[in-house]
Amino acid sequence: MGQNSTTILVPVIKNKAQDLLDLLAEIKDDLEQGNLPQFEELNIIHYARWVVIDHGKSWIDDPDERTPKLLFVIDYDGSETDLLQRLGTDAANLLDKVYSLCEHFPISEKRNPASRLTYLANHTIKDAAVYIGAPGRTVQQIKEERNLRNFIRAHLDSKTWDNLSAQAIHQEIKKEVLSKEAFLFLNEKTKMPGINWLGLVFLGLVLLVLLPLILVWVLFIHFFYERKDENFTRKRSQLDDEFMTELEKYEDFKNQNQFTQLVDMKEGNARLITIRGMFLLSRSLIRFVFVQGKLMGIPTIHFAKWVLFDNNKRVLFFSNFDGSWQQYLGDFIDNSGWGLTGIFSNTKVFPKTNFLMTGGAYDEERFLAWSRNSELVTNVWYASYPDLSIKNVNNNTKIRIQLMKALSERQAAKFLKLI
Amino acid sequence: MLSLELDDIQGYLIRGYAHMMYSRFVYLQISDAKAAKKWLGKSWKTMTTAAYIPKKSEISGTHLNIAFTYDGLKKLGLKPATLGTFSREFRQGMVSPHRTRLLGDFENSAPEKWKWGGPGNTPIHLCLMVFGNDKESTDDIKKDKIVCVNYYEELRAQFAENGLEEVLYIDGQTQPENKEHFGFRDGISQPIIEGSGRIGSKDDVIKAGEFIFGYKNGFGVYPDTPLIKAEQGNLNLLPPDAEGSGLKDIGRNGTFMVMRQLEQHVNTFWSYINDQTKNEDGSINEAESLKLAAKIMGRWQSGAPITLFPDKDPGIMSDINGFGYSKFDKDGLKCPFGSHLRRNNPRDSVDDHGVKESLKLSNQHRIMRRARLYGEIFEGSPTNNTPKGEVGLLFCCFNADISRQFEFLQYTWSNLPKTKELYNDPDPIIGVSEKPSAAEQQNFTVQDLPVSRTIKDLPRVITVKGGGYFFFPSISVLRFLSTI
Repeated sequence: MGQNSTTILVPVIKNKAQDLLDLLAEIKDDLEQGNLPQFEELNIIHYARWVVIDHGKSWIDDPDERTPKLLFVIDYDGSETDLLQRLGTDAANLLDKVYSLCEHFPISEKRNPASRLTYLANHTIKDAAVYIGAPGRTVQQIKEERNLRNFIRAHLDSKTWDNLSAQAIHQEIKKEVLSKEAFLFLNEKTKMPGINWLGLVFLGLVLLVLLPLILVWVLFIHFFYERKDENFTRKRSQLDDEFMTELEKYEDFKNQNQFTQLVDMKEGNARLITIRGMFLLSRSLIRFVFVQGKLMGIPTIHFAKWVLFDNNKRVLFFSNFDGSWQQYLGDFIDNSGWGLTGIFSNTKVFPKTNFLMTGGAYDEERFLAWSRNSELVTNVWYASYPDLSIKNVNNNTKIRIQLMKALSERQAAKFLKLI
Repeated sequence: MLSLELDDIQGYLIRGYAHMMYSRFVYLQISDAKAAKKWLGKSWKTMTTAAYIPKKSEISGTHLNIAFTYDGLKKLGLKPATLGTFSREFRQGMVSPHRTRLLGDFENSAPEKWKWGGPGNTPIHLCLMVFGNDKESTDDIKKDKIVCVNYYEELRAQFAENGLEEVLYIDGQTQPENKEHFGFRDGISQPIIEGSGRIGSKDDVIKAGEFIFGYKNGFGVYPDTPLIKAEQGNLNLLPPDAEGSGLKDIGRNGTFMVMRQLEQHVNTFWSYINDQTKNEDGSINEAESLKLAAKIMGRWQSGAPITLFPDKDPGIMSDINGFGYSKFDKDGLKCPFGSHLRRNNPRDSVDDHGVKESLKLSNQHRIMRRARLYGEIFEGSPTNNTPKGEVGLLFCCFNADISRQFEFLQYTWSNLPKTKELYNDPDPIIGVSEKPSAAEQQNFTVQDLPVSRTIKDLPRVITVKGGGYFFFPSISVLRFLSTI
């Protein structure tokens, strides 16, 4: 079953923003104390978050007065309709509490699974690019494979294995595992997505053909836009302390973290065309190459996505990842700087770039500061397997696949290294 | 080739003062800012610089360095606008709800229980680092102690008139073999700051900006240096911001210093390891115990890297440091991925990156360590593991970016159990939680053939007793501070 991502944006009823924030804070507490089993029970949601935007610090030098809105972002298994249907049925209470504070939600007499579905579906906004760290893996599969790995690990630790060949150990593990009812799912075959070389070659050829155009475009952007950009010049020490403290309240409780970012597009079609080009490129690379747990070389992201919305005037970025964003981000600049610069240099007040090649994300200090400064508080965040890193998730699938295969001695030795 | 302004840099950043076996770290409050400034106006001349002295006989028998906390700079009278240009980590200090989570300071290590630097303790303004060495003798800690303590007494006699009030002091010691209390040779691998005149493997040469403000760091940009935002004092003493902001740079040739007092539970450490490796009859298997401990640490007690000497300790004191993991130990069969040293300095083997990229990533998270022992000098081993009284390490390190260097190492590479492909393996020395949640396992995985082994239920073998973030200014900044 495939994974999907949905973004739902609804306006908050005037003067209800604070009520909503309070409610979300309650929900957050309930979640943390395990008193909110709805998402868990659905067993199809990988990650979910509610974020209130435009209720305070959320835009940069923007003359427009904005009204508070509620973002709902869900990464899940199966179809959107199915998800919304089930949310509207099994999590009805929760949805009603939250959305009764939002505009246009059906009045209480008219609330039913169908009307909730219609409401949510009517307010979805389109994702520009979605990255999945373990494509094809459902919540159920991830949990089953976790149990499988833990079982094998415990079995290996239960006795000594000296003087046995790797092949023999592999066989013995397999026998042990298959004797357990909990692992009947192993009869279902699965495979790890591979790099689509044909697609990649095709993409390479397209880029090659377009190269002269791209070069001209970069020069065009440089001389007509880049040099006039207003740049982000602050360092991390110069960020707003109160806001940093607020962000920190939501971070580093478990091994995984969330990141929500909202930035404004620079004006003009040239920037819009550039960012659309970058999203197209990202989508292609995500489809052909970034299928094995790394996004532009970043090996810690479970789900991430970009959303262009509000008449293409604003960009949202969401990520669910392992470790600490601030601490890690610097490590990825080398590999992903081109992509991050290519995308975000089209948004307002980004660190100074040069021909879209240098500066920008490569200016470590300012890039980290910019990233933090444009971050939003994620009011409610749900993660369904916070104990697993994305490397663990993918490794568990490898274990499962190799377990079920007939292996040579060398392959079996390699298999044992995975555990 | 970059050459550092060594006579403007305080010495302890560049040199470890290893021959000065006795030291006293004195934590003070400024009770009278005016008097303290007057004192700084004279005492900057007595601070030990990093200038190279070729003739051993001309090296002073006493060394002195100084560092300030945020509170200390405030108390001296540095203006708020300027104070606000220091990094958030330094301004907040080591204790905040978020930082406590990152550093893992819970249970008995909780800041509320600290002896200094915690919310219940007297705030500290500055740290004086006093070192002594008896020039007439070699490696004689008792004689070094006399020199150190005499120098301290001399300084102390004037604390009151200089507007200083002592809060506490901790005596730091080194051993000729530089072994810490668990019994392992410590401090072998150190970064070499580019332009410092020190020599060593080119893989260990790190851009000056990783350790000193005013120079470019590993990313080719200037670190987030504090600048003068509100004019005061004699600004002619300060250099301009190298980045060209037009402001005066109060950070140049200075850096941040992290201090943490870590009690070591020698008995817990060795009892646990003895228990994991005991013979069938329950007796201690010394060889196996030493081996598991070496796997956990990453080096044998002699300092020999287990990656190069996988079977047993070669015995002689080793300074071997020119090695990597990628070529001979890619699978962790000799030095496990989760070992304290491998995870905190993975050298040429970070995740699944190639050698060059790995070295680059490793070097983005280096710290200049300056640990000293406190408590009775004790050399732990499987059979000798009950020191008298509290023993530990006064951990100290220098870095320009506390978040990307010290805190990254403590959180991302030590406390998080997900290094490499691991699942439930925190750093076995400094990353284990005292009270893990019911579902949480804390293991050490020994990669092995035919299958790796899990060493379960690691105990926490250290307790944090105190700590703080300090600013370690240049000599000219000390002069400047006397004029504000």
